[in-house]
Amino acid sequence: MNGFLRAAAVARKDLRVEWRGRQTITATGMVALLMILLLGFVVGSEPARAAAILWVAMGFAAVLGIPRVTQGEVDQQALEILLLYPGSREHLFWGKCAALTVMLSALLVALLVLLGVLFGVDVWDHGGALVGVGVLGIVGLSVIGTLLAALVLHVRGRELLMPLLLLPLALPVVLGCVRLTEAILTGTAAGLWPAVLVSFDVVSVLVCPILFEVVMDEV
Amino acid sequence: MTAQTGLGAVAVLLLGIAAYVSLFASPPDAFQGEYVRIMYAHVPNAWVAYLAFAITFAASVLYLWKRRPAYDHLAHSATELGVLFTGLALLTGSIWGRPVWGTWWTWDARLVTTAMLFLIYTTALLVRGLSDDPLRGARLAAVIGIVGFLDVPIIHYSVVWFRTLHQPASIAPGSLKIAPPMLLALMLSLLAFTVLFMYLLRLRTSLARLEAGGEMR
Repeated sequence: MNGFLRAAAVARKDLRVEWRGRQTITATGMVALLMILLLGFVVGSEPARAAAILWVAMGFAAVLGIPRVTQGEVDQQALEILLLYPGSREHLFWGKCAALTVMLSALLVALLVLLGVLFGVDVWDHGGALVGVGVLGIVGLSVIGTLLAALVLHVRGRELLMPLLLLPLALPVVLGCVRLTEAILTGTAAGLWPAVLVSFDVVSVLVCPILFEVVMDEV
Repeated sequence: MTAQTGLGAVAVLLLGIAAYVSLFASPPDAFQGEYVRIMYAHVPNAWVAYLAFAITFAASVLYLWKRRPAYDHLAHSATELGVLFTGLALLTGSIWGRPVWGTWWTWDARLVTTAMLFLIYTTALLVRGLSDDPLRGARLAAVIGIVGFLDVPIIHYSVVWFRTLHQPASIAPGSLKIAPPMLLALMLSLLAFTVLFMYLLRLRTSLARLEAGGEMR
């Protein structure tokens, strides 16, 4: 069985478990919805604020959703078995990462529709570009998120550590997606932001799978 | 042990000379007046903080590669000192900013990046402390030390561009024109703080080694 099939099998398993329960996507979706309602009400729902509020909400949703990537395995004591399968653990990483990317992208699409309704921004005409930019950011978020989800697994108080790690480390993703979303909505130039997102993605993709194997080492 | 004490004595001596030159022997700034003297404490703090995180990065890579405990002791000690000096850099920067810029804090890229560094490496220390096993804690802290350091340039430039696209930086702290006596004071302070850092790092590393060995001397 080659690496791609192994990764796909892990991703399929994660997505199927999620589809049956739909707990993670519901919980993160509710948090994102709450953030958007709260920020939209407190800060004001002018279209100019839409991009920033969307990506702050995405950031917090990711903080809550990402630990679930490995939490499910721990609850069912399935992680040890998963690690016992022969072959590289990198495939496990890519499988989990792909499942996370799919989930966060689905969340982004739902939030964009919500933004179009609540903030009166024109998401309908630029839907493709907005999702494209979002997925570029989500890939980076998922790659580093999968590593961090594994990292906090054997640490006490992991719910507290996840935001402390993810939000500063993934700051370029949030900033880049805010500016690119603004640029698309207002039709202005994107500047260097695509390069920021791409370089974040490239660095993460190169480094995180290697470190994932280190993190998953048995003591 | 004597080399250690000698290094400490050199650090104290250099700090004394640097303090004298920066407080008395160097002139006040044309614009900032006496406040410019805060720079001689602020810039070395920031420099040592970045140096410490660079050492953390190198030691983390070496630890994950060779798995020798000595590298972990070095990484742990450098992280702790880095967090301390980052905190001091933020504090002295704030004290300097208040009279010179008229504000305790500004959303300048360097400030935001430094604050993010402080958070990332503090969390690295937390992860180490909260791990259920010291060896695992060492590994996880090394992973954060590597990811955090590689992330710094991207964080920095994203913060720079995030602001500059909207407004030009209203305050440019780098635009100081430095006169030779002031440059001397700054260089002396940098040297003194670097030697102090080396002394503290050696001290902390040997403490980590003793703790790991459970030895008492």
